[in-house]
Amino acid sequence: MKQQVLTFILNGEEVAVLVTPTETLLDVLRERLQITGPKRGCDDGECGACTVLLDGEPVRSCLTLALTVEGRTVTTVEGLMVKGELDRLQKAFYERGAFQCGFCTPGMLMVAKSLLAKNPNPSRDEIRSYMAGNLCRCGSYEEIIEAIQAVAAGEY
Amino acid sequence: MREVLYYAPTELTEATAILADHRDKAAVLAGGTDLLPKLNYYEVKPHALLYIGRLGLSSIHNGSSALTIGATTTTADLATHHLVQQYAPALAQAARLSGSVAIQNAATIGGNIANASPAADLVVALLALDASVRLLSHSGQRDVHLADFFLGPHLTILQPDELITQIHVPLSPGKTEFLKLGRRKGQTLAVVSVAVRLQLDGDLCHDARIVLGSMAPTPLRCRTAEHLLRGQKITTDLIHQAATQAIAESSPITDQRATAWYRKKAGEALVQRALLQALDKKEVRP
Repeated sequence: MKQQVLTFILNGEEVAVLVTPTETLLDVLRERLQITGPKRGCDDGECGACTVLLDGEPVRSCLTLALTVEGRTVTTVEGLMVKGELDRLQKAFYERGAFQCGFCTPGMLMVAKSLLAKNPNPSRDEIRSYMAGNLCRCGSYEEIIEAIQAVAAGEY
Repeated sequence: MREVLYYAPTELTEATAILADHRDKAAVLAGGTDLLPKLNYYEVKPHALLYIGRLGLSSIHNGSSALTIGATTTTADLATHHLVQQYAPALAQAARLSGSVAIQNAATIGGNIANASPAADLVVALLALDASVRLLSHSGQRDVHLADFFLGPHLTILQPDELITQIHVPLSPGKTEFLKLGRRKGQTLAVVSVAVRLQLDGDLCHDARIVLGSMAPTPLRCRTAEHLLRGQKITTDLIHQAATQAIAESSPITDQRATAWYRKKAGEALVQRALLQALDKKEVRP
């Protein structure tokens, strides 16, 4: 199929990549740019493992047609580290064991990042509600909520 | 593999010309939350993708008699916009309860209407508010009441060369409520949803809307139940009668989310609750 050039800002750097019209942002990230943080869980928008930030807001990269992000800003879990330092949320998830297999973690982190940007001190219910679209089949929900609360409380 | 063409026009005339060219071989793409799963699983194989996210149709305006909402306004914007909260709180509530945060950031009001799911949350609220849609094609435009728009599950009167550009939500007076029952609290499709609007004149009910989601082939206005309330003093008894009547007008199916039997039982309770809670709500005044 005929390819087109797609240009966008990925984790702070402009990238130009050849894509076909039916490829999703997730396809392009994982298979053309080797950005494998976003995971392909359901390819249906249900699980949240592929969640990335588009212009700062969480979206499903599996439901985002790649060409529609032309000129826009995409942040994946790979973009969370600054100068080799883990993000506070990454540290909290790591130290508090907020995962078992880790498949959902990149998506969880991006949604949590967006939550704390909007609401630096969310209640437990606000966390549960905001994170409801991200599934963890290992069942690490308690630790995930605690990790986000710990970051909000300034422990990281 | 067949070539798929991608268009992202910035002018409406361009968009309608593309649609006129490709007609039902084109798939209109807005937020993608309904179309992309079908593309990912090869359930639809369009010849052309028409992305309408660059047409400047994401806006909410307040006119003298109606809110005008652009078709690509996202559910997240509906949930948080002050005009929607003030004049159409049931729509803001439906938006808040629809999908997850990531879905709300992408899903659009026009897409929720065009997809024509019997469970469409926004549509249930919009029907209670007497909304209409503006349809544009290369040959002209028409306004259609939302109540006349749906023909069946994923079937509408939208012609292959037509695009939904705007939604008009009259500044309808009255007390409203939107309630939804799902299998879980967050990110869930409705087992049954209800929107009601009560326009009161002192003790009497001047006009009423009762709309059910996931209870019929399309979101359903329960006109006989509404008629029961009209001109009457609202009592608990009357609310029970109206709820029973609303369910009598429905025709739910059994599917993976619930049985038809359960939908009727839960639906009746939900209509009762919506009517009772609406009475306690602040009245919206245009």
